[in-house]
Amino acid sequence: MGNLVRFGLVVCWLAQFPFALAQSPTSDGEPLHSDPAWLTLGHYHPNTLGGGFTSQADDPDFFLSENGKHSPEAELRATLQAIQQAGDGNGHAQCRFPARTAWLSEAMGLSLPEVSCPGYQQWADELNTSSVTLVFAASYLNSPSSMFGHTFLRLDPPRTDATTNLLLASTISYAADAAAHDSELLFAYKGIFGGYPGVTSVTPYYEKIRLYSDIEHRDLWEYRLNLSKAEVDQLLAHAWEIQDRNFDYYFFDENCAYRLLALIDVARPGTQLLGEVSTHAIPSDTVRWVLEKNLVSEIHYRPSAATEVAYSLDNLPEHHRELAAALATGNLQAESSALAGLTDEQRARILDATYDYVRYQSEAEGWPREYAAPLSHDLLRERSTVEAAPDTPQPPPPAVRDDQGHDTFRASLGAGQIDGREFVRMSLRPAYHDLLDPPAGYRQGAQLQFLGLDTRYYTDNNEWQVEQIIGVEIRSLSPRDAFFDPLSWQVGFGGRRTDTGSKRVLTPYLDGGAGGSWLLADQLQGFAIATADLEVDDDLNRGYDAAPGADVGLLYQASRLSLLGGLKTKAWIVSTQHRQDQAYVRSGWHFLPGLSLYAEFIREHHYDRYQSTWQAGFHAYF
Amino acid sequence: MKKLIAGAVLLGASSLAFAQPGCGVGAMIWKGQSGAAPHILAATTNGTFGNQTLGMTTGTLGCDTDQSVQSMAMFMDNNIDKVARDMSRGSGENLDTLAVLLGVEPADRESFRKVLQDNFATIFPSSDTTSGEAVDAIVSVLEQDKTLSKYVAA
Repeated sequence: MGNLVRFGLVVCWLAQFPFALAQSPTSDGEPLHSDPAWLTLGHYHPNTLGGGFTSQADDPDFFLSENGKHSPEAELRATLQAIQQAGDGNGHAQCRFPARTAWLSEAMGLSLPEVSCPGYQQWADELNTSSVTLVFAASYLNSPSSMFGHTFLRLDPPRTDATTNLLLASTISYAADAAAHDSELLFAYKGIFGGYPGVTSVTPYYEKIRLYSDIEHRDLWEYRLNLSKAEVDQLLAHAWEIQDRNFDYYFFDENCAYRLLALIDVARPGTQLLGEVSTHAIPSDTVRWVLEKNLVSEIHYRPSAATEVAYSLDNLPEHHRELAAALATGNLQAESSALAGLTDEQRARILDATYDYVRYQSEAEGWPREYAAPLSHDLLRERSTVEAAPDTPQPPPPAVRDDQGHDTFRASLGAGQIDGREFVRMSLRPAYHDLLDPPAGYRQGAQLQFLGLDTRYYTDNNEWQVEQIIGVEIRSLSPRDAFFDPLSWQVGFGGRRTDTGSKRVLTPYLDGGAGGSWLLADQLQGFAIATADLEVDDDLNRGYDAAPGADVGLLYQASRLSLLGGLKTKAWIVSTQHRQDQAYVRSGWHFLPGLSLYAEFIREHHYDRYQSTWQAGFHAYF
Repeated sequence: MKKLIAGAVLLGASSLAFAQPGCGVGAMIWKGQSGAAPHILAATTNGTFGNQTLGMTTGTLGCDTDQSVQSMAMFMDNNIDKVARDMSRGSGENLDTLAVLLGVEPADRESFRKVLQDNFATIFPSSDTTSGEAVDAIVSVLEQDKTLSKYVAA
């Protein structure tokens, strides 16, 4: 009985519409509900199995129809019906879904009842947006979780007004709404497998700058989009629709960058940025797509606090740098006569650089407030007495932007020899960058690789072997100097071939290390790392083995040529007691954009015998 | 226009502590560490901690001051070390932002920068100056200036 009543109601409800309106075909005969623009507005994606669609929105309030999540058609009917209702106020469908309303009324030429939406109106007025800028926070070397970068949108007020200040502009971000008490591990787990709701938030740009530029030391790249006023309005209208609506958050695909792409797709139907996303949306890649689709009119670089400090210290003459160091360590007072003999400009540069350095150390290295605060105050008070000095010079933008670096997917083909056996190498690495990849656009000395697969086909017995599976591999070689003393470190896990003395077996491994690196010349650094390796396998005597060790080497990274060479030693101490010593040279020659030639040679002493491995081939990036 | 910008600043501020003259406690300048180790936590890369939902507040904690001064106070609370830096140099975008928030006309910007630089030691008498105190001091320094007093008149 209940079903019958419900069925009857549905029929009655459908009967309210003239048939043509309900079907609403577009000019090319396709029904309106399968128009890509409508599917984008509803965040619908075709189901992997079977026909039909599912929306990525995970919030019932995002839909007007009960079947809205799975039926673009039902949602379109419900929306059409709701926006044509008379009525008023913030709860009206026109006010809740201004972007859908705008699109439908345009597509169907509707004349809709006038509805006043004070909430939406006030929100849009206060955002006062005339253009939209995509902001990319570059990766920061020592922070693995930042290495993919981050993107958000900035809503820029009209520039015609002399009082415009972009620091006050609002930004829209999409992020996982994580509980503050979740550990990094739980955060990673839930981020990958789902479990966090994703929320859209609006904050002033100055807060973002504080976070990324001052605290995390990440340069910001600002890509002003060439959206028309109508397109900007539609983007905002859709941002309003998804505000507070839950979309489950996933690190690799449905992440910060992804949801912003959807907003741009809504703003300019047909852009199809989301169509570019296959398995993962790395923010730097998404910036590339936005550039490729000709959406960018202007690019601006905003150096981080760390970049500014390094630049202003680098630009001090040697003697003045010593004065700055003495000021920062408290060996020299700001009012001291050592500074008095200098010109106004020289004093200003020294005081500015020192203050920025003290601020940097307070944020990054946790210099205690009792020390840093009075010192900061002294420096500024002294600086305020220097009036005529010209503005501090700003760091120039890097010659190569982050989005101009090599693409992150790498496929390799090569050939080589190990202990006289010849092999062909085939290898894939979905993301992201290794020390020997073309360095332009990436941090010097930084490596982050995910999910690599390295295979070898041995020609002597026609056997295809997995040589290595990379889970994650991070290396961070940040050079130390008189002002900065970062730790160099590395961590990795996966599976790799290991020599048991009689055969090479695929073994799960976990390794790590920490040490220091030092800049020897402009693009050359030396490093010394204490390492620890763990391998687990049945073929090992006791099922596992561990090795403390050391890795000392040189890294040269220039635009055309990368070189890494060094000496590695490990002392396996559990299952076998023996040393494994290695001399290695690896190189990459970046002779074409997107294509590199690689070569490596390893000479190893292990189980009382010497063995050589060499290989060479090509890396293609796309 | 001024009101709109001021409104935009207040947007999304629900979770922030206000620092207004006489209302609430502002942050001390030159804070020490910034809290939880930001490099390790993935918070700002892929997530947001807490419930920073899109929303707006114009709540002013019962304080009844001029809106532009309030907006300036909020901005100061977040950026006080950078405002102090720019003020000591007599230039910079954070100082310009103060001018925008107070509605200082382009023609008066130069003297605005100079007056604040000259009075740095009055505005920040010590390293314990809170942002609320600094805002108070800025207001009174501007009040004493013939050309600039109009921007802080309630």
